[in-house]
Amino acid sequence: MAQVAITLNVNGRNQTTLAEPREILADVLRDRLGLTGTHLGCEHGVCGACTVLLDGEMVRSCLLFAVQAQGAEITTIEGLEENGELHPMQKAFSEYHGLQCGFCTPGMILAGIDLLKRNPDPTAEEVRDDMGGNVCRCTGYQKIVESVLGAAREMNEVTS
Amino acid sequence: MTTTEWIGARAPRREDPALIRGRGRYVADINLPGTLHMAILRSPMGHASINSIDASEARTMDGVHMVITPDDIPDHITQFPVVWRLPGQKDSGIPALAEGKVRYVGEPVAAVVADSRYAAEDALDAIDVDYETLDPVTDPEAALEEGAPVINEDWGDNVAIHHVFAGYNALGECHYDAEAFDNAEVTVRGRLKIGRHSGIPLETRGIVADWDEIHGRLTVHSESQVAHLFRTELAASLGLPETAVRVLTPNMGGGFGNKWDRYPEDLLVSIASMELGRPVKWIADRREGLMSTVHGRAQVQEWEMALQSDGTILGLRGKVINDLGAHLHSVGIGPAWVTGAAAPNQYKIANYYCNVIAAATNKTPASTFRGFGGPEGIFGAERMMDKAAKRLGMDPAEIRRKNMIQPDQFPWFNAAGAVYDSGNFPACLEKALEAADYDRVRAEQKELREQGVYRGIGISSYIHVSGFGPSPILGYLSYYTGGYEGSTVKVDPNGKATVYTGMIPMGQGTETTLAQVAAHHLGIDMADVRVVWGDTDQTPYTGFGSAGSRSNVAAVAVIRAVEEIKAKAVRIGAGMLEADAEDLEYADGMVSVKGAEEMRSVSLAQVAQQAYWAHALPEGDQPFLEATYVYDPPNFTTASGCHVVVLDVDTNTGRITFRNYVIVDDCGPVINPLLVEGQIHGGVAQALGGALLEEFVYDDEGQLLTTSFMDYLLPSFTDVPDMEIHHVVTPSPHTDGGFKGMGEAGTFPPGAAVANAVTDALSHLGVEADELPITPSRLWSLIQEATR
Repeated sequence: MAQVAITLNVNGRNQTTLAEPREILADVLRDRLGLTGTHLGCEHGVCGACTVLLDGEMVRSCLLFAVQAQGAEITTIEGLEENGELHPMQKAFSEYHGLQCGFCTPGMILAGIDLLKRNPDPTAEEVRDDMGGNVCRCTGYQKIVESVLGAAREMNEVTS
Repeated sequence: MTTTEWIGARAPRREDPALIRGRGRYVADINLPGTLHMAILRSPMGHASINSIDASEARTMDGVHMVITPDDIPDHITQFPVVWRLPGQKDSGIPALAEGKVRYVGEPVAAVVADSRYAAEDALDAIDVDYETLDPVTDPEAALEEGAPVINEDWGDNVAIHHVFAGYNALGECHYDAEAFDNAEVTVRGRLKIGRHSGIPLETRGIVADWDEIHGRLTVHSESQVAHLFRTELAASLGLPETAVRVLTPNMGGGFGNKWDRYPEDLLVSIASMELGRPVKWIADRREGLMSTVHGRAQVQEWEMALQSDGTILGLRGKVINDLGAHLHSVGIGPAWVTGAAAPNQYKIANYYCNVIAAATNKTPASTFRGFGGPEGIFGAERMMDKAAKRLGMDPAEIRRKNMIQPDQFPWFNAAGAVYDSGNFPACLEKALEAADYDRVRAEQKELREQGVYRGIGISSYIHVSGFGPSPILGYLSYYTGGYEGSTVKVDPNGKATVYTGMIPMGQGTETTLAQVAAHHLGIDMADVRVVWGDTDQTPYTGFGSAGSRSNVAAVAVIRAVEEIKAKAVRIGAGMLEADAEDLEYADGMVSVKGAEEMRSVSLAQVAQQAYWAHALPEGDQPFLEATYVYDPPNFTTASGCHVVVLDVDTNTGRITFRNYVIVDDCGPVINPLLVEGQIHGGVAQALGGALLEEFVYDDEGQLLTTSFMDYLLPSFTDVPDMEIHHVVTPSPHTDGGFKGMGEAGTFPPGAAVANAVTDALSHLGVEADELPITPSRLWSLIQEATR
C-alpha cells in the first residue's frame, strides 16, 4: 500500500515519517518513531493504555489514523520529563505504588494529568468517576486513586 | 531503623523509574533488525473437520514470506506436552496448528509471515479453508452424557479424568463415611456455578523468535512466567539441543498465570524464524487474545454438608465438574484437582469425598489462572457454610467459629491430603469482624431493610496452600517439573552484590523484594544489590517459575546463598584480622571480632577484594565471593485470612453497591508492606471481576460472543471498592524468615464473600446467589423469580 508523509510535533519536536494511511497513530508512534512508551492493550478504544495528549486533549491513539493527526502537537509519556525532572504525577505513581506491571501506567499518568488540568483538587470519588476509561488489571485501582490525589496535593502546593 | 533493616520496609520499587517514564521494554517493544511479522488464521467454528486449506494465493501476495499450514510444519516438530499428568488423565498435547479438525473458536489453523503485521493480516483473508461442521458441545454436563459429540476421538469420550478424593490424610484420620450423611441431623445441599473467565493481562501474549544460523542458536523474547521450563519444552518440540535455545523475558505486562502455559504461537514463530533466517514477531491483538489465551475457573459444583443441629460439621461431599475446553493444556486438570484439595478449607472436616470430573467442551482450553483452582474450592466451602448457617438459624460467623481448626492444631492434615503448616484462623475471623464492626452492621441491617435498603454482610474465610512446592510431592502428584527455586549471589571485588534469580517478574515487584532480602541479610544498602532476571543463559534453572505465589521460596534461596557467602567472608576475615573464625561475627556488612573492646573489623568490600586477589585464601576455599543455593521447600506454606463484605442490593436493577470491604491476611512476616497491599488489592479486584462482571459467553454452536472489552467486562475504577487491610502474622515454621506466598490469596475469598453478602441482603426473598458472575441481569432475574 502506498505510503504518505506525515508530520507530527511529538513531545516538542517536529518529526516527519512515511506511513500507510491505514496505520493507526499508536503504531506510527511506536514502530516508526520508536516511542514504545505508548502501549496497546485492546486496539478498540476501551482500555486506555494507548492514551496520548493531542493538542492538549486526551485521545486514544489506537482509534486515530496517524494521518488524522497531521500537524498536531502530541504528548506521549516520554515527553513528560522536563530538564531531567519527572512530572509530579509520575513521581506520585511510584511513591503511592500506583503501578505494578506498568503496562497501563503511561495511559493512567496521562489521564491523571488531564483530570487535574480540568479539576485540580478532585475527591477520590471524582478520580474514580473521571478515570473510568482507563483499565488496570494489577492494582485494584485504590493506589492509583491515592497517586492522583497525592499528585494533586503536590501540584497545588507548588502553585499556591 | 538502621539502613540494613530492609525486610519489612516500605521500600520504593526499583522497577518504577523505567516504567513511569514509558521506558519499560515489553515484548511488543522489541524490534530487531529485519523483523518479519506473523498473523494467525484462527478457527471461526467451534467444532468442524478441515477438508482442505488452500493458501496458494496468499503465498504469492506482496510482502508475504511464508505461509504455514499443517503441511508446512516439519515432521520432526512435536506438540508441547501437558506437564501435570495425573494418573488416569487422558493424554494430549498442544499442537502448533489444528490437526484435521478444529475444536474451538480461535484455534490456530494457519499462519502468515510478512513484512508487516498489516500485510500478514491482509494475506489471512486470501487463505481458503474448507470446513465441514461437526456437532458442537459447549455445556460440560451435556459433554459427559452418553452420545455427546466426542471432541478428541482418541479419548473415546469427553472425560479427561475422574479423580476421587475419598477422605485421606497422612495420619490415617480421615475417611469417607456415606452413612454419616444418611444419619445426620441436618444435611444441606448446594448446586453452584462459576463462570468462565481469566487473567486477561493488559499486555496480550506475544513472542519474538530469532534464529542465528551461524551459531545454531534460537533466541526467544517471550513473556513466559517459567522461562527455563519453556526452554526445555521448546527445545524438545523443535528437536534442538537445549543449549541451542535462549529465552529472554523482558518486562511483562501482567501474567496472572495465563503466561505460565506454552502456546502454539511459540512453535510457529520459531519454525518460521528457523526457516526464513530472520527474526519473526507475533503479538496477539485483543480479540485473538480473548479467544486463544487460556481461560479458567469454569465449574459446576454439587455439595452436601452433614451437620449436627448445633452446627458441628460431620462431613462434606460433592462433585466438581470442570469445564475444561477443547483439550488439556500445560497443567492438565491441575486447577480442578486443587479445588478438591482446598474445599475442606479452614474447618475440622474428617469425613470428606469429592469427585472431580474434567469435561472437554468446544471452548478455549482452560488452564493456569491466578489462584489455580483454590478460589473455586473456597467458593464451594464458604457458600456451603452460609447455607448451613441459614438452615440452622445460626449466625454465619458462629458456624465458622464452631468448626475452625484451632491455632494449636498445626500442622493440620486436611481430608484431601494437604498439610497446613500454620495459621490462626479464629484470630483472622475475629479481627475482620471487629474491623467491619460486624455487630453494629447486623443491627443496622434490620432497620435499613424496613426503609427499603437491602444491605447484606458476607464472610469468607480462606486458606491458600502456597509456595509450591516440595519436588517429591510434585512427583507424587505426577507433576513433571521441580518445585525448587535457585539463587546465585555474587559479591564483586568492590563489595557490591548481584542476585541471579530464575523467577520472572510479572509486575509484582520480584526484583525489589529479592533485593530487600539480600540487602537485609548481607547487612548492606539496598542500592548496592542488583538483581538479574529474565535470561536463561544467566539465571538458575527453575521448573516452576513465577507461579504458586513463590517469592517466598525464592527468598529462602537468596537467604541461604547469602549465608554461605557470609560464612566464607568470616573465614577470609579471620586471616585478615589474625583471629580465629569462631571468634568472629558477621553483621551490618562487617566481619568483626566478637566482644572486642576496640572495634576490630574488616568490611565486606575488603574481604571481597581478598577473595578476588586470592593471595592468602584459607585452605580449601576457592577465589571469588559467591554462592548458589537451590531451595526445595520441605512443605507448602499455608496463607490464610478472612474477608468481610458489606454491600447493598438495588432490587429494582440488580445492581450492587459496596459499603465496606475488610481484609485480614496472614501471609506470615511481610517483606514489603507496600507491595503486599498492592498484591492483595489487585487479587481482590480480579476476583470481583469474576464475581460480578467477567464471563466468556459461548452460544450453543460454540461461538464465542465476548471477543472485545465491550462484551467481556473488566472491573473499572468504579466497580472496585476501597479495601481496608489488616494482618495476622503466623510465621511458617519451616521456611527461613517464615514468609508465605501471598500473590494469589486476594483472589480466593471475594467470590464467596460477595455471594454470601448478596444472599444475606435478599434473605427476605430467599434468593441464593449460587452462580458467578452475579451480573445485574442475573441477579434481577433471581429477584423477579423470588417475588413472582
